[in-house]
Amino acid sequence: MVEQKVEIINPSGLHMRPANILAQVAGRCTSDITISNGKRTVNPKSLLLLMSAAITCGSEVTVTCSGPDEIADLKTIVDAIQSGLGEMVQEKF
Amino acid sequence: MKKILVDKCASMGIAMGKVFLVNRPDITPAEYSVTEEEKGTEIQKFQHAVDTVTANLEEAAKESEIFAAHIELVKDFALKDSVETMIRSGVGNVEQAIAESCNRFVSMFEAMEDEYMRERAVDMKDIKERLLMSVKGINPNPFAAMEEPCIIVATDLAPSDTVRMKKELVLGFITQFGGVTSHVAIIAKNLGLPALVGVTGLMQNVADRDEIILDATGKTIIFKPDEETKNFYKEAVQRTNEENALYAKLKGVPAVTRDGKTVEICANVGNVEDIKTAKEFGFDGIGLFRSEFLYMENTHFPTEEEQFAVYKEAVLTAEKYVIVRTLDIGGDKGLPYFEFEKEENPFLGWRAIRICLEMTDMFKAQLRALLRASAFGDIRIMYPMIISEDELDKADSILEECKKELDIEGKAYNKNIQIGIMIETPAAVICAPELAKKVDFFSIGTNDLTQYITAVDRGNKKISYLYDSFNPAVLRAIKMVINAGHAAGIPVGMCGEFASDEKAAKLLLGMGLDEFSMSASCMNRVKALIREMNYKEISESTEVKRI
Repeated sequence: MVEQKVEIINPSGLHMRPANILAQVAGRCTSDITISNGKRTVNPKSLLLLMSAAITCGSEVTVTCSGPDEIADLKTIVDAIQSGLGEMVQEKF
Repeated sequence: MKKILVDKCASMGIAMGKVFLVNRPDITPAEYSVTEEEKGTEIQKFQHAVDTVTANLEEAAKESEIFAAHIELVKDFALKDSVETMIRSGVGNVEQAIAESCNRFVSMFEAMEDEYMRERAVDMKDIKERLLMSVKGINPNPFAAMEEPCIIVATDLAPSDTVRMKKELVLGFITQFGGVTSHVAIIAKNLGLPALVGVTGLMQNVADRDEIILDATGKTIIFKPDEETKNFYKEAVQRTNEENALYAKLKGVPAVTRDGKTVEICANVGNVEDIKTAKEFGFDGIGLFRSEFLYMENTHFPTEEEQFAVYKEAVLTAEKYVIVRTLDIGGDKGLPYFEFEKEENPFLGWRAIRICLEMTDMFKAQLRALLRASAFGDIRIMYPMIISEDELDKADSILEECKKELDIEGKAYNKNIQIGIMIETPAAVICAPELAKKVDFFSIGTNDLTQYITAVDRGNKKISYLYDSFNPAVLRAIKMVINAGHAAGIPVGMCGEFASDEKAAKLLLGMGLDEFSMSASCMNRVKALIREMNYKEISESTEVKRI
């Protein structure tokens, strides 16, 4: 199992649209994945569970992956989160 | 026969026909029990419902991206696990399992601190309803049974309803809730159909397929009319049709009074489609292009390029001037992708120009798009909710910044683009003489101005009798603004619905209003009135003088 900490930069946290993108990215990975904000640990492949964690902007989350492709999958997830999950393109608010 | 009288008309006209009652289906889960052998079938029913709902949502997602995430929620394995576990462990049948599982997620969202996340409970409820309707075999479209021309009767109508109904079969709208500025009222006006809203006691008096007369102009609804009444209204409908034919002839004819004063008759629009509809009636310009719809019917803040394409198409379609109001959001208008903090007094809160002056990157995207589109036609920019010279100066300096950027980038725009402001706050009325020196035009927004001057919430039904633009204070404010504008040599328009009121048109003409902007279907009626009037006589009448 590998893990990495990453900060959520989406202004409204992981609300529906970015969470959906993350769920889709996670869904394409073969590893077993968890994401935790300290209070709750959820499987990010489920949009419902991901939203249930109510992850807010600025919070640091821990991503874990385990499976044959865990290193590549962890990078995929972390990169997606750091790129703003489709939200950060031009607006900085 | 039974009559109901209503205080206010949402959209004028008369219609006779059969009631189409919009039914909200009963989706209470059935209580049958399931044997061990039947469990597999119950699970299959759930899977089938997921497939059907997904297909329906995929169809809906073509029109609005908001539904894309709904699809993922329906297919979510956490929901699937929950439903299937409940069926397998004998907790209930498929309907009970769906209701119970969805309710858990609903409560989970409702318990969240973040208001945006709390609102997701609504999405989950929507999914529960869709799944339950699917397993119960109920058509999710309440308008599926519409087959003949009819009058739509409902407790209330949502924007999604108006998308789904077969508009060519609609003769008019009646709803039990909603105000004259509600969504239904706007849709009805754009379609040129009669509508009455906020009709107390409507639902208990009506059944599906009943004969009904909707006299929106006369603010009257008649249930199961007798022959005499029907004949009376048949004639009235015919007269209205004749009047409409007469108005149609006024297309392209100027709005000039008997004594030779010309005013401009313009259309209020929300998108390019509306401009096309309005063009059928003929207009002197677009007096109000509500840019907020570009933001509201979107999944993200529209980019400069996206906006540029729309404004360019708008001005090329109109072939006349187009006044674009910069983003007027907040108050009662939210965005699906941006969370507004909850406010005690949203109408006195963070809205319109106040938001734009703070979120300057977003504001600049809109201003740059407008400037670039001005290279293709007479685009004019209008700032909403201005309360001081200072605010106007700030907005103008951001505009100047955009112009400089475009100069450096070598992008074309109209260097003499006209800038105006909405006059919709008492502060702007009082400071109108100073503001007039800094802009090219004024446009009076009577909906908000009436609310702010009279301190009457326009959405509050209990005091709706007080919401009156004929209040002497409102009329005097309008007069002050027109006079201040003319003293500075700038034209004054009006883009509130008041400009289309028959009684108001006379007073407004008498006070010297230069431009009347309204829903497209009202334009030629007002034009016909103005062409019958004598400006000098009215402006010198005591009725106008005493304002």
